[in-house]
Amino acid sequence: MNIMPALEVSHLTFTYPTATRPSLKDVSLSAEKGELVALIGANNSGKSTLCYALSGVVPNFYRGGFTGSVMAGTMNTTEHTISELAQQVGLVMQIPANQLSGVRYTVFEEVAFGLENLGVRRSEIIERVMSVLEVTDLSDLSDRSPYQLSGGQQQKLALAAVLAMSPSILVLDEPTTFLDPEGARQVFEILLDLKNQGRTIIIAEQRLEWIAEYGDRVLVLEDGELVLSGTPDEVLTNQEIKEIGLDWMPYTKSAELAKQRGLWQRERQLPSTFTATVSGFSNPED
Amino acid sequence: MSRPEKNSIATLFVSRKTWLHRLHPFNKLAYILLTGVVIYLGPDLWHVELICIVLNLGLAISGQVFQVTWRLVWRTLLPLAFFMILIHGFLYPENRTILLSFNGMHFYQEGFLFALNILLQLTAVLTASLIFVLCTHPTDLITAIVQAGFPQSLAYLLGSPLLLLPIMRERIRTIRDAQRSRGLDSEGNIIKRFFSLFPLVAPLVLGSLVEIEQRSIALEIRGFNAPGPKTSLNTVSETTWQQLLSWAMLLVSLLIIVYRLWK
Repeated sequence: MNIMPALEVSHLTFTYPTATRPSLKDVSLSAEKGELVALIGANNSGKSTLCYALSGVVPNFYRGGFTGSVMAGTMNTTEHTISELAQQVGLVMQIPANQLSGVRYTVFEEVAFGLENLGVRRSEIIERVMSVLEVTDLSDLSDRSPYQLSGGQQQKLALAAVLAMSPSILVLDEPTTFLDPEGARQVFEILLDLKNQGRTIIIAEQRLEWIAEYGDRVLVLEDGELVLSGTPDEVLTNQEIKEIGLDWMPYTKSAELAKQRGLWQRERQLPSTFTATVSGFSNPED
Repeated sequence: MSRPEKNSIATLFVSRKTWLHRLHPFNKLAYILLTGVVIYLGPDLWHVELICIVLNLGLAISGQVFQVTWRLVWRTLLPLAFFMILIHGFLYPENRTILLSFNGMHFYQEGFLFALNILLQLTAVLTASLIFVLCTHPTDLITAIVQAGFPQSLAYLLGSPLLLLPIMRERIRTIRDAQRSRGLDSEGNIIKRFFSLFPLVAPLVLGSLVEIEQRSIALEIRGFNAPGPKTSLNTVSETTWQQLLSWAMLLVSLLIIVYRLWK
């Protein structure tokens, strides 16, 4: 039996209305239920545009030249409005302050905004909002103004607001930009929980150490094209990523150096996480 | 769920527990309309304007927002008053009676009174509007509009400026500080200040345009235009007498408009 992927992109090419060159070129990918897929690439490689395309913002809001298809579950993004898709795909944008509704006075009300729009019953709204505020560690701030929060707290709020709408697919465009390492870890722990609950997560991220630790699969974009894909270990230790403006992580670099000096087994996979590095150095014969 | 105090939030709303705060937003909106109609279409007497101002200030005291109201009126109207009195005092076409003369230039009574009348009218409408803004929770206004069956987009259009304007003010401050740190001199005489406006306005306008786009997307991905009925976390109750009060004020406004048109 053929199991339908949670998200499927086929031969997607997109050019913004005022642009002369496409931002995405013949991109095809799929993601399964309960999978955390990371998008990496240098600036202007098309990560944000791909996030927009996955959530229907492209081509419903940015109406440029669009060919190919994006299927979120059974919904074709070109046949539904962004608001209709919102229950299926949640998008967390890069700048959290811009994701605030602008018409809600407290954190609690802000999270409830999306549910009000979907016509969810009041009692259920309260229940769901309280639940996501707890998950995102914002319960203590529920009476504060969203504009009073720090960048990191606003980022968590943006995530909470989307989570409250219970989308089965979550698309996040660099959600840890304003977060300190502890805040970033908290966000990835939340994402891990969501993944384990069966949600599909697509995350554009520059901080490779988190991708290495939490990602199931990594896709690399270069100039709008998908140039590399594989497990975090396969991709993040690949020489090619250095050529497209990314860099190896210190763990990988140190193991590579050790390999040259005979301190790391030649056949052994270069590590992309701290744990794998420690394991490689402490059990060289494994 | 409690709401943040005035000092802890970037908006004009002042959180108090007065009858004016509890009053339905439509009552206060109808009151602004009535004030405007009485002032601009009612009897052309300065007594009426003065009565309206006194009444509004009384309401501001009752709503525990007098100090804020007074401060905002003062700050808004003082520069305006200065220029209006000066311009009309010297240049009003019906100027006849000289009040002051210096260096061959005459300052006239008619122009002065005309400017004063306009200022009284503005003060009356401004105080009524401030009572509304200071005593009405923006969320309550939006909820009331949606509850009344108006489109959500209208509620957003009316409600968002109440929350977004103070944020814009904050942004202006940030841009000004950033430009100052790069050597922009925004202090000094009026000409200097005028020219220092350009490096402030350009990033503000461009930034706001980009933000509008982002905010539109943000609303869409939060289901703003989702089909089907909406629900509301907050409810704004309206008693029968509050409904009657709104209708009465609308009716009086309408009667004054009709009378004015007929006359």
